[in-house]
Parts: sequence; C-alpha cells; structure tokens
Amino acid sequence: MMPHAQKAAIFNKDEARTDWHDASLWMVRKKRDFAVSEIPEWEFLREFASDIKMHTLSKLDDYLEAFEKAAIQNGAIVHWAADAKEHNDIVLSILNKHQAKKMVKSKSMLTEECHLNEFLELHEIEVIDSDLGERIIQMLNEPPSHIVLPAIHLKKEEIGELFHRELHTEKGATDPQYLTEAARHHLREKFHTAQVALTGVNFGIAETGEVVVCTNEGNADMGVHLTPVQIHSMGIEKLIPRRSDLAVFTRLLARSATGQPVTVFTSHHRNPKPAGEMHIILVDNGRTEQLGKPDFRSSLKCIRCGACMNTCPIYRRSGGHSYETTIPGPIGSILTPGIDLKKHGQLPFASTLCGSCTDVCPVKIDIHTQLYKWRQIVSEAGLPEAGNKTMMSIMGNGLASPSFFHRLGNIGRKLLRLFPGKERFLSFTVWTKDRDLPKAPVESFREWYAKQAKDAQ
Amino acid sequence: MPSKETILTKIRANRPNLWPLPDVPIFETLATDKKKLFIQILERGGSKVHCIDDSTQIHQVITTHFPEDKRMVTALPFLEGIEGISTLHPDFYEGTEVAIIEGLIGVAENGALWVTEKELGNVRVLPFIAQHLVMVISEKNIVGTMHEAYKILGLPTTAGFGVFIAGPSKTADIEQSLVIGAQGARSLLVILTP
Ligand code: SF4
Repeated sequence: MMPHAQKAAIFNKDEARTDWHDASLWMVRKKRDFAVSEIPEWEFLREFASDIKMHTLSKLDDYLEAFEKAAIQNGAIVHWAADAKEHNDIVLSILNKHQAKKMVKSKSMLTEECHLNEFLELHEIEVIDSDLGERIIQMLNEPPSHIVLPAIHLKKEEIGELFHRELHTEKGATDPQYLTEAARHHLREKFHTAQVALTGVNFGIAETGEVVVCTNEGNADMGVHLTPVQIHSMGIEKLIPRRSDLAVFTRLLARSATGQPVTVFTSHHRNPKPAGEMHIILVDNGRTEQLGKPDFRSSLKCIRCGACMNTCPIYRRSGGHSYETTIPGPIGSILTPGIDLKKHGQLPFASTLCGSCTDVCPVKIDIHTQLYKWRQIVSEAGLPEAGNKTMMSIMGNGLASPSFFHRLGNIGRKLLRLFPGKERFLSFTVWTKDRDLPKAPVESFREWYAKQAKDAQ
Repeated sequence: MPSKETILTKIRANRPNLWPLPDVPIFETLATDKKKLFIQILERGGSKVHCIDDSTQIHQVITTHFPEDKRMVTALPFLEGIEGISTLHPDFYEGTEVAIIEGLIGVAENGALWVTEKELGNVRVLPFIAQHLVMVISEKNIVGTMHEAYKILGLPTTAGFGVFIAGPSKTADIEQSLVIGAQGARSLLVILTP
C-alpha cells in the first residue's frame, strides 16, 4: 500500500484540479456554517448528542437486546453478524431463500466496509447502487471518495463521458440536470425489476425497534417499498435509546453534512409491508474492539456526516482515495489504525492537528486528540510511518538548547536571504515543497530586544 | 457460540462505565411567526406553497397548478373526480404524475412534513414514485422544531412506516450542482389550509 503522503503528492500534481476539489468541499463547509448559525442552541445539541451516544455505548448490550425484542415484535427478522464475512453470508442467504438475482442498494458505508458488492457479484447477484453518486462510482469501478458525497472527486465531463458509454447519453453532454435525468430513467427500471432492496441505517431506535434512514434522492424508499424483501444493514453503534432522541440527531445531521436544515426524506421503518419481509442485520466487525479502547471508543459516536472531511485541509487537498480506507478523512484516520496498525498507522500523520474536525463534529468526538494519541502508539510500535524522525530529533535537540537555537536562527536567516522563496534549498524536508518560506527578518527578536535595552539606557 | 452471544459478551467486557442519559428539553423556535418560517424554509428548499382559506379550494389550486391533463391519484378522501389510491392496482403506481396526500405535522425550522402509511392509503411508495407531490396540511399543525414534532408523535402505535418529507427529491452528486428531481418527486406543492 502506498503511503498517504505519496498518494497525496500524486493528487497534487494537477494543481488546478486540487484547487477545484478544495473549493468544492470548502463550499459545503460554508453551507454548514450558515445552517448551524440558524440554531441558537447548536452547542447544547452537540453536547446532548454526545451524551446520548456515550450513554448508549455504556449500555450497548442492553439496548441491542431491547432493540432486537422490539424489532421482532414488529415482525422484522433480526440477524447478528460478528464480522464482514458473516454479514455478507447473511445477505446472500436471504437472497438465495428468495431465489433473487437482483438487488438494489442505497448508500451504505457499512456495506462498503464489508465489500458486499464484490462478494455478491462472485455469487452472480447483480447489485445496483441506486444513489446517483454511488451509481457513478460503481460504473467506474471505484470506491467512494467521501462518505456523503461519494463522487465529489469527479468532474462533470468525466461523468458525461461515462454516461455516454453506459447510458447512451449524448456525446459531450455535461449538464448535471440532463445527466441526472438519464440516471433517473435508468434506475427506475431497476427499482421495478429488483427482488430485494438493501439500505444502510442512520439510527436504530431501541425503544421502538425502528430503523431510520435519512436521504435526499428518494432512492432508498423506492427500493424498499417496491421490492418484496427489505434488508437494513446496521452497525451496532447506530443505536439510540428513544424515538425523541431523533429530534437532536435530525437537527444535527443534515446541517453538518450538506448545510440543509434536514434531509429531504427521514424514513422510519417499523414493520414489513403486507406480504413483505423485513430483515435487520446488526454488525460488529471490529466495533466491540474499538469499544474496549478507552482513548478511542468515543469515535463510535460518529453519525457519518462528513463534516470533518469537508473542513480538513489535508483531506480537501489530497482527496478521499489517498487514504485507501472505506472511511477517509479525519474520522477514518482514527477508526482504521485500530483495525490494522501496520497498514493504516501512517494515517494519523495525515493531519495538521489544527483541530477543525473536532470543532465541527456534531457529536463532539475529540478527533484531533485521538489522532495525536494514535501517533504515540504508532511511534512506540516503531513503525517507519512515524514521520520525519531525523528532522524531529534534530529539532528536538535544537529547541532544547538555547545557544544552539540562537545559532540555528542566525544561520537560517542568512540562508533564507540567500535562497528565498521557491528555491527550496531545504530539499531534505517536504515542508517547503508547496510553500514559499517567509521573508527573513534582518535581526532576531533577541537581537532587537538587546538593542532596545541598550538604547533605553 | 452464536454471534449474538459473542457480540454481547464482548460488549459487556469492553463497555465504559455507565454514562448518564440526558433529559433533552423541548427546544422551541425563536421565530414569532411559525407559518411564515415554514413557508420560507420550504421555498428555500425548492418547494411551492399555496395558502387557501377554505379546503373546498384544494381542487381548484391543484388544477391551476397542473393545467395539463395529468394522471392524478389522491389519498385524500374528499377530492371528487380524482382517482383514489385505494382502488389503484399496484401495476399502475408507476405512471402516477401527481399524488395528493395529507401531512399531519409541519415543522417550521426545516420545512418537513410528517406522514404515515395511513395518510398514504397504505401505499408506502406513493410519495416517492409519483412525478409530482402535493401535500395538504392545516396551519394549525405547524410546530416550531423537531423536538415539538416528536413530542406530538410519541411512540408509533399502528403505522409501520412514517416519513418526514421536506421538499422535492434532489441531488448534488454531480459537481455539487443542485438538481431538483432525483429519483423521487420532481416537485412538491404544499397547500396550507386554515
Ligand atoms: S467524526 Fe464527527 S464530523 Fe466526522 S463524520 Fe463522524 S460525526 Fe461527522
């Protein structure tokens, strides 16, 4: 696996495109800011959301059992999956039971995490991702680059080209309205012919056994209501205790994600349709392990809004694919090292630790603190990803010795005057690769202060 | 050990100490005119709103709004001359151009309207499959925030499906350009009755 920094460097080669990616996400962040400003009690809501989630995690066993009981009473069939494989096997067994060969799916990061599509395709099941962005990347055979905006990395020209090839739209057509219309017709046909629909779950309500799905396009509901069999795949951390808690979370989710006051559809599924079947799969896949790590368990509060990605200066300028994880960006970088430290141990270093992620997180996960803690663990494990080790130790020694620091400053100022700007004389460090160094002052503060003191005498 | 037991056992070993569950107050909106805010937010989200003073005008509003001959289906019982959902064969759900349903609660802060399968004539797919959606709601049923809405909703009793709808279906998946009319209804007309 290529380190994040290397992938980011490749992404950065196309400067105009990097700027465009950066600006698109920053626009979403700004919309979020506006939506948040409309709620005076925003900070209280974040606190409540965080507490509700922490409470649920502290009694997760009880709530899961209560949820299961209520769901069964409603007429749903509840399954438990310890890992991705078991989840996929359960989905396949449901499909087989109904001799189904075609399944429509609406956006679900969990099924991405489980690599469900690849698995089902091996068993000759046709899976159709029905969210527009997901459908686009599925046709391109790419993973999503963002958890809410899966195709944010693509230009409309590329999508136009793809649709021309796959859906026979006019060559050269790039109008989003026209392309969306083409996808609408293409997908309508799929909704009517699929036998099974699968959705992710935003919230599971322990007291009612309901699953709540928040969407904008209407694709999840088209699938669920038109097919006889509905499956809802749900990570066990998606539970909340009470139906009224939804007030807190629906107010936070869409505002944080896209800056909308609420998603267009907030669907509450309680029981199967007449003569239909409703399955709920509760998935662990590493979550109980994360629960056992006191420093990192609060990452399980995540409601997958994507706000930490939109605000992250590293994510915006390196793209979701550079992380090589299902969940990219700041939250992905604290969720994945726990799964495979060797593989993902470099990700906590893909951060400036500016803390912007923590500031926008609607459930108050201390993301940047956890990034910092992961760095300690990675360093202690002696992994090479621990960053600029040589540089760090020179810096460490230098900063610890006042006289050395003084001399270093003198040399630095001289060098900067001799090789200003983009000369990048410091080629042994990556810091100056994309930055101009500031103009060097003539004297240091120390020299200036000494002069002042002398003048004053 | 079946996975249920494995998962529960792991949780019991790993869960943090009991964290208190907060009581969440019913936050209300600061807006003095909830109806005005409701309309404003709906329009911002791409919906149209039409206020009438008498529910006998509903029919009139709909025909003015859709002057061409469109296939309409209503889940509201009292609209004469419009096909009722209860008699419609499922094969003809697709092809519904305009669906007319009742909203039970309107939320001013986000323009969302609550409906359950009862208001859909038990056809859950109706508001999604129709090309255009009309929702009729009394202004008496507008509340300020989601907290107030869920307080009224309480726990579900009979309905197996309920949904908040806050506008026409939309997407911004292509270069973040907003497109109204993704997979569900292309437009939402909200008729506000007294
Ligand atoms: S960590 Fe917070 S900001 Fe990031 S996706 Fe999760 S809930 Fe949203």
